Amino acid sequence: MRASTLLSESLAVLGKELTAELRSRVALNAVGLFGLTTLIAVAYQIGPYRIQEQDRPHLLAALLWVILFFAATSGLSRVFVKEEDAHTAKTLRLAARPLAVFAGKFLFNLILLAALYAFIVPLYCALMGYAVQGVASLALLLACGAVALSATSTMVAAIISRASGSTTLFAILSVPLVLPLLVMLIQGTRAAAGSTTIAAVLPALQGVVSLGGATLVISVYLFPVVWHD
Amino acid sequence: MSAVSVEFKGVSKRFGNRSVLAAVSGTLQRGRVLVVAGPNGAGKSTLLNILAGLLRPSRGEVVYRNGDAPLARTHWFEHLGMAAPDMAVYEELSALENLRFFARLRGLHLEDPTLQELLDGLGLPPREHTRTVGTYSSGMRQRVKLAQAILHEPPVLLLDEPSSNLDEAGHGVVADLVARFRELAAVAVATNDPREMTWADARIDLAL
Repeated sequence: MRASTLLSESLAVLGKELTAELRSRVALNAVGLFGLTTLIAVAYQIGPYRIQEQDRPHLLAALLWVILFFAATSGLSRVFVKEEDAHTAKTLRLAARPLAVFAGKFLFNLILLAALYAFIVPLYCALMGYAVQGVASLALLLACGAVALSATSTMVAAIISRASGSTTLFAILSVPLVLPLLVMLIQGTRAAAGSTTIAAVLPALQGVVSLGGATLVISVYLFPVVWHD
Repeated sequence: MSAVSVEFKGVSKRFGNRSVLAAVSGTLQRGRVLVVAGPNGAGKSTLLNILAGLLRPSRGEVVYRNGDAPLARTHWFEHLGMAAPDMAVYEELSALENLRFFARLRGLHLEDPTLQELLDGLGLPPREHTRTVGTYSSGMRQRVKLAQAILHEPPVLLLDEPSSNLDEAGHGVVADLVARFRELAAVAVATNDPREMTWADARIDLAL
């Protein structure tokens, strides 16, 4: 019988991921540079003044999530691919429970997303002149969106990790899964920008939480099969 | 250390149309070293992966027993240590950090001096314990891989080409390790090395 708990194993995996990432900075650099480059390109080409006033709520919300999603895609897929590439996956398979691996990787992706959001969102608001009325609503939406996006990305990353051309496959597989999520997040962001009340973003928030929750529950059952077989 | 035995019967493996193993049977038990020999491509690593539960056989079965009680496949890994050429430890971490990580995953509360003693015993000089594995030679990496395999003193130890990348001193370290675990665990060694074949209490010769 194991003396360790699932929580301590998950935290061990998370700790290992953070230490390895802080030393190699591969995912951080990929996500940060992709996000910054896209943001600067959008800000340079469009900026705060080249959008008609009536189009601003729709376009600014959509552009924000396009930048966040594609920047995240460049880093989130790596969590399992790097284990396969470095031949550490088999060592990890033998030592850790599948759920601990999933939880540790999910938490790592969540932290990566939080760092990306903390870096990009204020810059985007400043460069694009995006005045958000409901800052708390947006923060809540970003938090729930990060959980849902991290759960989906971690699961898809596990599925594609043993395939060749895994980066392309990650985009192909994750886009249909993430698309409904993105639509809800864009709608919620638009609502948060125009209203200070949480009620305005509630429908979108409910959708994001449902989708994120469903993905997490499915992952708990599906991941051990994907990881070992 | 509990007495876990592994029995495998009629194990076959096909990858597409290619048959890699055909009806291989045997037993791993404490006090005996099973050597799996054969030329490259004969299926030695495949057999060890099947015994570890990392691959499912196309035919046949593998049964782990703790005493007389069969163990569910989901519990095999807890009783198993393995080192193989296609297994690595984390390059971004030091040897000590790797062992701390694997110890924590296995629920072991081992202090650094214990881990350092393990690394010393496998011939990794103390000054290397805190350097990242990415800076190691292949022989030093092999010693860390062996350390993670025996860290939890597993009752089943699977070693695939354990002396690969090691010098003569390293070969001696592995020979000592196998001799020690022969008394404690069920050991299987996949090898082409004639010196390692002399460790055998039982032997399976695989052909192409």
